[in-house]
Amino acid sequence: MKGVKLHVRVLALALLLIGAASTAWQIFVLNIPISSDITEPVWVIDTKLSFNARDNGPVKVQMYVPPAWSKFITLNESFISKSYGVNTDIIGDNRQAVWSARRAEGSQQLFYRLMLTQRSNSRFSESEPGPQFSESPELIGVEKVAVDALLKPIREHSADIETFIREAIKLINEPSNDNARLLLGNVYTQDNKSRVLELLLSSAHIPVERVHTLRLVSSVAQSSELWMRSYNGKRWLYFNPETGTQGLPSDRLVWWTGNEPMATVEGGRNLKIEVTANQKTMNSIMLAQSIAERKENKFWALSLYDLPLQSQQTFEIILMIPIGVMLILLLRNVVGLETLGTFTPVLIGLAFRETEVFWGIILFTVITALGLSLRSYLEHLHLQLLSRLSVVLTFVVIIMALISVLGHRLGLDRGLSIALFPMVILTMSIERMSIVWEERGGLHAGKVGIGTLIAATLSHLMMTYEPWAYFVFTFPGMLLVFMSLMLALGHYRGYRLTELFRFNAMIKGK
Amino acid sequence: MSLFSTWKELRKKGVMGINQRNADYVLRYNQRHLYPLVDDKIKTKERALQAGIHVPPMYGVIDSDKQISSLADIIQGHRDFVIKPAQGAGGDGILVIADRFEGYYRTTSGRLLSDEDIEFHLSGILSGIYSLGGHRDRALIEYRVTPDPIFSAISYEGVPDIRIIVLKGYPLLAMLRLPTRQSGGKANLHQGAIGVGVDLATGITLDGTWLNKFINSHPDTTNPVRGVQLPFWDSFMSLATQCYELTGLGYLGVDMVLDKDRGPLMLELNARPGLNIQIANDAGLAARCRSVENEIDRLAAKGIKKPSPAKRQAFCQRVFAQPLVVATVSDESANKAVG
Repeated sequence: MKGVKLHVRVLALALLLIGAASTAWQIFVLNIPISSDITEPVWVIDTKLSFNARDNGPVKVQMYVPPAWSKFITLNESFISKSYGVNTDIIGDNRQAVWSARRAEGSQQLFYRLMLTQRSNSRFSESEPGPQFSESPELIGVEKVAVDALLKPIREHSADIETFIREAIKLINEPSNDNARLLLGNVYTQDNKSRVLELLLSSAHIPVERVHTLRLVSSVAQSSELWMRSYNGKRWLYFNPETGTQGLPSDRLVWWTGNEPMATVEGGRNLKIEVTANQKTMNSIMLAQSIAERKENKFWALSLYDLPLQSQQTFEIILMIPIGVMLILLLRNVVGLETLGTFTPVLIGLAFRETEVFWGIILFTVITALGLSLRSYLEHLHLQLLSRLSVVLTFVVIIMALISVLGHRLGLDRGLSIALFPMVILTMSIERMSIVWEERGGLHAGKVGIGTLIAATLSHLMMTYEPWAYFVFTFPGMLLVFMSLMLALGHYRGYRLTELFRFNAMIKGK
Repeated sequence: MSLFSTWKELRKKGVMGINQRNADYVLRYNQRHLYPLVDDKIKTKERALQAGIHVPPMYGVIDSDKQISSLADIIQGHRDFVIKPAQGAGGDGILVIADRFEGYYRTTSGRLLSDEDIEFHLSGILSGIYSLGGHRDRALIEYRVTPDPIFSAISYEGVPDIRIIVLKGYPLLAMLRLPTRQSGGKANLHQGAIGVGVDLATGITLDGTWLNKFINSHPDTTNPVRGVQLPFWDSFMSLATQCYELTGLGYLGVDMVLDKDRGPLMLELNARPGLNIQIANDAGLAARCRSVENEIDRLAAKGIKKPSPAKRQAFCQRVFAQPLVVATVSDESANKAVG
């Protein structure tokens, strides 16, 4: 006996842990939302390329698109173009889209739409590509002197790559520094400053790379923002070439790296690029679903969502049954409510889904009362049990039909929609109820009937409570948690609530 | 008084709840395959007759609709008899015929029934109205017990019966169930009968319970129920004690009656007896179960696996004697539980 108790405890604990762990994994690792109401921002970035094609010649347009190692998760990507073929290639760290057409004429427009979520991509740190080493340039004459003159104070003021780069950026941006001015040739453009920075750092054997980023803000038109990055042996360090601040802000999307322009066109001219970003909100669970679809390796985290829609709806109801059953277990074993059978209240609660709970209670009460009164009348006719029950059941069906017709005439269709399922449940309940009446008398039957109605209503409310339905459906590990609670209740030996009143006399007698 | 302190008080008193009864006693001591023996009154009766336990004599069994017509043969020579469903529970479906009159049957309440009424009742029993699972049943026609006149002062119609709860052959609590006007002459507590506790040692009645309340006099006769000496008490005790060997069921309610002519008779057995007996005796079943389990362990330690029924009966009559010893018993068992 003791061994069994331990066994049950271990089993219940194991189920509880497995269920809780799987739910926690889904919530904390996979970021699956705990409520269906949570929404998250999603970015829609539209890129429009327009140019004029040269007379009827072949056209090839190359454009960099954000790489797969971006810290944002791509939800959807589409290339829209009339009569162009589209390919994407991976070139080094970058990804490039190539549109091509045999012949084109007049003004042309190509579109690229990207949908991103700001949720961090867990693969980011692992698959961001490593560094590319570049040769130190051979410098001569004045330039060599200027570079050496600049590097000296930088070396003195820095401790590592990080501070070295920051110091270099600071000096280049200093207008009073003659050496810097010389290297820049008095051209203080972003592009030129980056060129000088690259020159300076590669002379010091620290390769840097240009990173073209897009700022995620809702605005009409945007252009890419230039950042620099360097590999410190472990990870990439990002720098703002203007201010020297380190670290890419969370709202910057890396679009491409390198010195090339964003897009080039062969066989066309007047290339114009317009980029607009727009923020939208998306339901978190739908977001999680589309992410799961893209990451095929973790598909079973939301496997119920993979089912066909109709099966999903069915399962959403079926998965709620254990909640109702657990409630009945509590009501019977802990509270001590008397109900008609064990699972009939859950079935009635399910039937209430179709009739609505208010009408359900009224229908249940009226039809059961009518059915039972017919039963007591039939008792005088000395019919055999089976034929008496059959007559009662047929009578119930007729009453339901009448109520439906009457309700329809009165325009109460919605409330009185009686499907096959509630009909079967109701007739079954009446049969059981009349058996209880035969065996234990009317008073007991009434008591049991009311208990059943209370339990059915409660279980209905529990089973149709949306947040729970969502939670159980999304985190099926909860079913294991329920199972462990049910197992634990199987060894509950305490008093039922009603017993405290039942045996109360034994205390007051003292 | 708060519910929590009620809970604690009841625990202290060793009152058994349904969950505890089901899990710790019924499920643990009663093997399911033995149930048919107690659920079917005909089987119980046959087994009891073999073991030499006194039961009301059986006149006949009707197990098919065709046999209903043979009722006349079965009851030939008996003016009074009882019709029972073999698998009925809680006393439902029992028809007691006290007399016959001009081809009619008179029930104990004076109602006259025709042959047709009786046949209808029999077909109801056969189709399983009163059986637990609703399946087909058999009807049992047997001797009608005449209650001993000792009960006339504290009973209203019907036949009072005596229930003793037995754990592993140790009688724990006893109760005299007295029919009232409300219970319609039936001795079932849920139908409104009174339960009166009985001292195991002496067979003298204690206070009673009626609808979960304490009472000390019968609501119909207004006579006090306390202090009545039940005759043949030791026979009742030994009858109940022996039912463990009879069935093999460890936790059992044994229902018995006292017939005017035949003395103590065993009526039926119940594998999951009710808990109101605790109110009637003002004593907790769990506390008494603990004492018995401790005794079983003590004997097992001494190498005694199967103490004789007489030894078991003597133990219970010594330890569970009411009302003087009751306090020390619960203290003793509590101490044992702690130790």
